[in-house]
Amino acid sequence: MSDVEAYRERARAWLGSVAPRFGRAARAGLSEEEDLALGRAYLKERFAAGYSGINWPVEYGGQGLSPIEKVAFDSEEMAFGMPTAYFSISLGMPVPIIMRFCEDKAWVRERVHKALTGEEIWCQLFSEPAGGSDLAGLRTRAETDGNGWKINGQKLWTSWAQYSDYGVIVVRTDPTVPKHKGLTYFWVDMKAPGVTVRPIKLAGGDSHVNEVFFDDVKIGDDHRMSPVGGGFAVAMATLMIERYVATDSAGFGPHLDLFVALAKDLRLNGRPAIEDGRIRQQIARNYAMRAGLDSINVRARLMMEAGMTPGPEGSLNKLVAVRSRQKLSELAIDLQGAGGFHFDEYASQKEDWASSWINAPTGRIAGGSDETLLNTIAERILGLPQDHRPDKGIPFNQIPA
Amino acid sequence: MSILYDEGQQAIASESRRILEAHVTTEALLPLLETRDAIFEPFWTIAKEQGWTAVALPEAYGGLGLGLVELGLVAHQAGRSLSGAPFLTASFGAARAILDHGDEALKQRWLPVLAAGEAIGAVAFIEGQRVIGGGLAFEDGKLRGTKSAVTGGTRAGVAIVTARDGDEMILAVAELADVERRPIESFDNSRCAAHLVFAETPAIELLRGSVAEAAAVHILALQAVVTAHEQTGGAEKLLETARDYALTRRAFGQPIGAFQSVKHRIAEIYALVELARAGAVHAASRAGQDDFIAAAAAARIQATDGYDTAARDCVQIHGGIGVTWEAGLHLHMRRARSLAVEQGNLFFWEDVLVDRLRGKAA
Repeated sequence: MSDVEAYRERARAWLGSVAPRFGRAARAGLSEEEDLALGRAYLKERFAAGYSGINWPVEYGGQGLSPIEKVAFDSEEMAFGMPTAYFSISLGMPVPIIMRFCEDKAWVRERVHKALTGEEIWCQLFSEPAGGSDLAGLRTRAETDGNGWKINGQKLWTSWAQYSDYGVIVVRTDPTVPKHKGLTYFWVDMKAPGVTVRPIKLAGGDSHVNEVFFDDVKIGDDHRMSPVGGGFAVAMATLMIERYVATDSAGFGPHLDLFVALAKDLRLNGRPAIEDGRIRQQIARNYAMRAGLDSINVRARLMMEAGMTPGPEGSLNKLVAVRSRQKLSELAIDLQGAGGFHFDEYASQKEDWASSWINAPTGRIAGGSDETLLNTIAERILGLPQDHRPDKGIPFNQIPA
Repeated sequence: MSILYDEGQQAIASESRRILEAHVTTEALLPLLETRDAIFEPFWTIAKEQGWTAVALPEAYGGLGLGLVELGLVAHQAGRSLSGAPFLTASFGAARAILDHGDEALKQRWLPVLAAGEAIGAVAFIEGQRVIGGGLAFEDGKLRGTKSAVTGGTRAGVAIVTARDGDEMILAVAELADVERRPIESFDNSRCAAHLVFAETPAIELLRGSVAEAAAVHILALQAVVTAHEQTGGAEKLLETARDYALTRRAFGQPIGAFQSVKHRIAEIYALVELARAGAVHAASRAGQDDFIAAAAAARIQATDGYDTAARDCVQIHGGIGVTWEAGLHLHMRRARSLAVEQGNLFFWEDVLVDRLRGKAA
């Protein structure tokens, strides 16, 4: 057994030992507040067990291991359904980015420790009503205010802002230069006066995203994490920092085995649905596609273990897996007939077809829409031209609204 | 077997690519479409010289002792260049059947000549719409009946056939010297397809009953993995062709690749090529394992969809020029379709796969 396999075995054993208290079954029926409290308790134990900040520097309280161990642990953890969603953004991007870009190391160490133990949560204040895919089109502004800054504006789609203690934010500090050049990057205290968080109820009934309003929110210049006007580069670094994440060829929806089981249980025209050609074709095509994605993911892992850089095809998983999960979920509902109407707001997207279906569009939009991903593949991998951008090179305040 | 290619395997890929790119041209391939039984002869000469015919056969019988992964790498390049005479896959399937199920005399008779490319093998299971047909009669060691549109049938010296003896399926091997061949006019003539008419043709029984059926599926699965690599190679070439054209062809004042309707279509081809590539190497690495048939079926389905879609969309991206004889994109359209049917069509492999998944989830 390789070292990584041994690590994976130990991780699985530990996860199994705490799963009765924190896993899927323990979470059933909890309110979101109760679930969050359980999540904080889980993170505390995970930290004590040495499975937090796996690939982060030891000086900040991490384990100092490689992304290989991190991905191995994450993929094992995913299978147990632990209450980690509240911390996924926090530990995925904002906290790693303050480790890299904040000067006050003692302060950073304290933040990292509290984030790893679940005491504090960070959010990422990027998207706005006027800019999601077009991040650099954002309008929230910061003006100098004495020795510091004053922020006004609105952020949107901010995951877990309602539970966050801190956030990282990109704002416009100069509207007279082209849009990418007038941005600056800060961190903010989410409990500061003038910050208002309003949860947004999504189509599936849950509210993990928020609108965040800033009204004359005053911060010191020591909150600044980029040169003035150099915020876009740090924003890009934030989006790129989590390069190695556990992927799921089921698109974070149900495993294909669940569809096969459903097709064996249910009948269509008087015989098992799995004998129906329409159902068989969908099973076969989905299996083939997921086998390809799994193979891509395995190859990426082998390359990392061999000290090589995985190829860009790893970026296909989100694009291909989520949209096919959406269609398969529709088919699963159809197949159940009247039984398919049943809806449980708290059901897991990994196990319940209706939940998987209603939440699938979020997966195709959040973190890079299908269209944005296709553009990225076309431009970055295949070298095709950028889209025509009429706002290119024009000062932000002269772009036609 | 790892899915990460080692240095030796990468050398097989780059060397076979270099040789084929130096020899194959669209101009040389186009006339083959209008002649029956004409292949791109230099390919077969190169295949013999380079030992591609021997890649996946044991050294004891004149092979190189490598496996499906390596043969797949050669097939990928054959697919890219469209040069692949059908014999690489057909002879391999026939040789594997003899290797796995024949006696020592049979192995000595055929494997060295197949490995050297001196003889060509065929896998003749298909009968009309039936991928594994059993309409051929086997009686007292003799075959009677017709196998339809056998790939490589115009030139094969030996064939593995499925037949029927009473209620039992038979897997048999027959020398084709005295068999009547009726070459068929097809949309991809260099596949050398011919009806084989057996009339009291002597044949040697390899297997009988349910094991014969299982063996037939396994032989097709081995060939399907090779073909999946060939299909992936073709799709990869089309991806590059589409990308290059979209970068150079201009309309409305910009390269057509700047239009999202075009660039997204090409990005989708990229996704299909990478899924096919990953599925094919995964299947090749599972040879000899319990899940090999399922992996082969999955690879075959993904590669067929990938090559068909790449051919369809690459022509579309080229506009008018794409449908001309000279541009030769129709060579890929034709090859995508012939490879989609050889070694079992999508209906066949979807059924094979789902039957296995159904059993597993029980």
